[in-house]
Amino acid sequence: MILNGLLNTIRKIYFSHNIVLWMILLVLPVGVSLFTMGMFTSQIVQHVPIGIVMQDDSRLADKINARLRSSPVLDVKLECGSMNECERAVVRGDLQGFLVLPNELERRALRLETPVIPVYSSGQNYLTNMFATKEIRSVISSVGSEMFVPEIADPVKTEIHSVGNVEGNYQGFLALGLVTAIFHLAAMIVGVYVLSFPLRDHRVTEMIRYAGGSRLTLWVASVFPMNIALWLELMGCYAYCHRMLAPLTFDEFVMTAAAQLFMICACSGAGIVFVGVVGVMRIATGAAGVIGSPAFAFAGQTFPVMAMPFAVRCFAFVLPLTHALKVQSMMLLGDVSMEPAWQSMKILIGMAIFWNILGALLMSMRWKQHLRREAARGQSSGMDVAGMDTKTEAVT
Amino acid sequence: MIRRLWKVAFAEWKLFYTDPAAILLLVVAGVLYAFYYPTPYINQTVSKVPVAVVDLDNTAMSRDLIRMASAAQQIEVKSIYAEMNEAEAAMAREEIFGFMVIPENMEKDIRAKRPVSVNIFTHGAYVMLHGAIGTAFSTCALTVGATNKVKQIALGKKVPSAKAIAMRDPIPISIQTMFNSSGSYSNYVVPSVLVVILQQSLIIGICVLGGSRAHRRFRKKFRDSPVENETAEYRYFGRALAYFLHYCSFILFYHCIIYNLFDFPRRGELLPMVVFSIVFLASVINLGMVVSQVFLRRESSMQLFLYLSIPILFLANFSWPSYLMPRWMVSISYILPSTFAVPAWLSIEQMGADIYEVAPKLYQLAIQAVVYLILGLLLTRARDKAKIDIGDM
Repeated sequence: MILNGLLNTIRKIYFSHNIVLWMILLVLPVGVSLFTMGMFTSQIVQHVPIGIVMQDDSRLADKINARLRSSPVLDVKLECGSMNECERAVVRGDLQGFLVLPNELERRALRLETPVIPVYSSGQNYLTNMFATKEIRSVISSVGSEMFVPEIADPVKTEIHSVGNVEGNYQGFLALGLVTAIFHLAAMIVGVYVLSFPLRDHRVTEMIRYAGGSRLTLWVASVFPMNIALWLELMGCYAYCHRMLAPLTFDEFVMTAAAQLFMICACSGAGIVFVGVVGVMRIATGAAGVIGSPAFAFAGQTFPVMAMPFAVRCFAFVLPLTHALKVQSMMLLGDVSMEPAWQSMKILIGMAIFWNILGALLMSMRWKQHLRREAARGQSSGMDVAGMDTKTEAVT
Repeated sequence: MIRRLWKVAFAEWKLFYTDPAAILLLVVAGVLYAFYYPTPYINQTVSKVPVAVVDLDNTAMSRDLIRMASAAQQIEVKSIYAEMNEAEAAMAREEIFGFMVIPENMEKDIRAKRPVSVNIFTHGAYVMLHGAIGTAFSTCALTVGATNKVKQIALGKKVPSAKAIAMRDPIPISIQTMFNSSGSYSNYVVPSVLVVILQQSLIIGICVLGGSRAHRRFRKKFRDSPVENETAEYRYFGRALAYFLHYCSFILFYHCIIYNLFDFPRRGELLPMVVFSIVFLASVINLGMVVSQVFLRRESSMQLFLYLSIPILFLANFSWPSYLMPRWMVSISYILPSTFAVPAWLSIEQMGADIYEVAPKLYQLAIQAVVYLILGLLLTRARDKAKIDIGDM
């Protein structure tokens, strides 16, 4: 009896030609995640456009020019006649930076006067500017070290390793977090939609009837399928994005998947709370958007949380995304992170329970209120419940 | 004619100041996000990132290196470990975000003129920390190397130390950041995001208000009013005028208040800013008018465009260069005003470009505006004639 009611309600909510629901539940989160991952397919930054001002006409200047041109990170797009020409090209966005090989560069270098080579970067693109200046520095210092003492090698060399992301690829750095952020928002939006469309379309009576008169059954039928669907989609997208990195062990996979599940539950629960509080889909979606859309900026993967002001750190703490990303990033480090990841997991479980209990209470009150309203509406229009049923079917 | 246009524009203004959903999108979102986005980055740069050193050498030279690392601005050496496992465990607990391993016999090898490799490990999930920690530790390690190389040159070539320094690095470089001298992260992120906020809130706002269609059903009381039933052209241009003037005030608000408050560079000249505002807003409003004819329900546009915010931001050449994206993605990005508006806005406001320098991007925005205008007018007429019983618009 209860199972029948549950299945009927699930069928009614999820399989009654509701295109918008399937768009926001399946097509958009998966599509947008795949699209976002696709942006980073080249994985590392290459061919950063730069310019050169060749004031010096010497073998040394030619050598530096040739080395810069052969670097895969840089693309010498413009050889400018003056600094102004290169500067205007940066302003137009054609170049990310330029360097000046000054007059008498070789003569002064041979006389050990250490002529300085000025390198100008636009400063408007963190990633490309960082790569370009690093590469220019390395090219010029290698040319310089060959001038007088090529036989004496640098006594100390450094190697920078990115643990868990050995290649330093940006699908690993950015896309993994972005995909989780997309599902963080998706869970809120879907939570709002599934729980608010019966209110919007005046179908609470109908839904409760399908659930055999039980609000608990209606709650379970509304909440569980969307959480499971979003969780499976997130795991699929995450696994696809993670294929570039070292594979997860079984324990790491379980931990990551559990964190993602609790994040989805917490976010959908928060979405349901918005519906319970405002009762209108439009405003609840707006609230979910205001909180969910910029969540990635606060979650600490790009700009670290510890460098944010205290109030923002508090806001970051209440976002489930912050903790889910923490677990995901800890799992990149291997087994040693298992124990510390439990701290974040406990917070996520607490959030999921809190938001869902609060959402259930608020929705229960909303449903009661709407049942009364729909009964009053039915009486005033002289329409019985069955009549309302067929009308609402048409509206949907 | 002008009076009729103003009448429609005023009616639309009145509507979006009395509709809670429209207020949220067209007024609150634009103001709130302008404060909300820059706030996390108010400290501008990352400094004092907690790190550790694994000292396997334990000599005077390794202690020098640790002292040097402790003095670096970007990092703060929290602990010195004797074993790598301890550092790994601390990184797993996120007590530190990176560590440097000073190899065994470093001093001995350097003195024996054998090359030494110093390994730096950073947390693989944090891109900014990777850069900051890597740069700070490498600078320190290479400085130790440079000091020793200078000694080797001075002794080997029998030259004074000043000459040896010049021989080690005869062509030093000096890096100047032209338009973001403090290297501030907010200067780099927020201006681009502000343009995307304007675009997204305006498109969703127009869709929530039903664009230029007649008989908007959510306006139960007013949908038969004369303003609501003006001819399609008057409705279209009158409502567009209302949005245009409203969003011009936002651009002014960002330029005069937000940029001052958060200390972003303000180099924009009047003429390019005015032309940019006209073509950008025309393009976004017309796109909004086109898209609004697709939806039957007021909230559907919100659901769609909230999802699209992240890819739209990245497609605007923000953070990840567009030439590294697949061609088909770049082609898709040409339908979005932000693809041209973000670089144009950065050129004008951050770098002080004149009108000729941003002209190519402004032309592209103008072409978009014209194409969407034609499409918008056609779709509005088609929608006016169509009979649709479902939805609330």
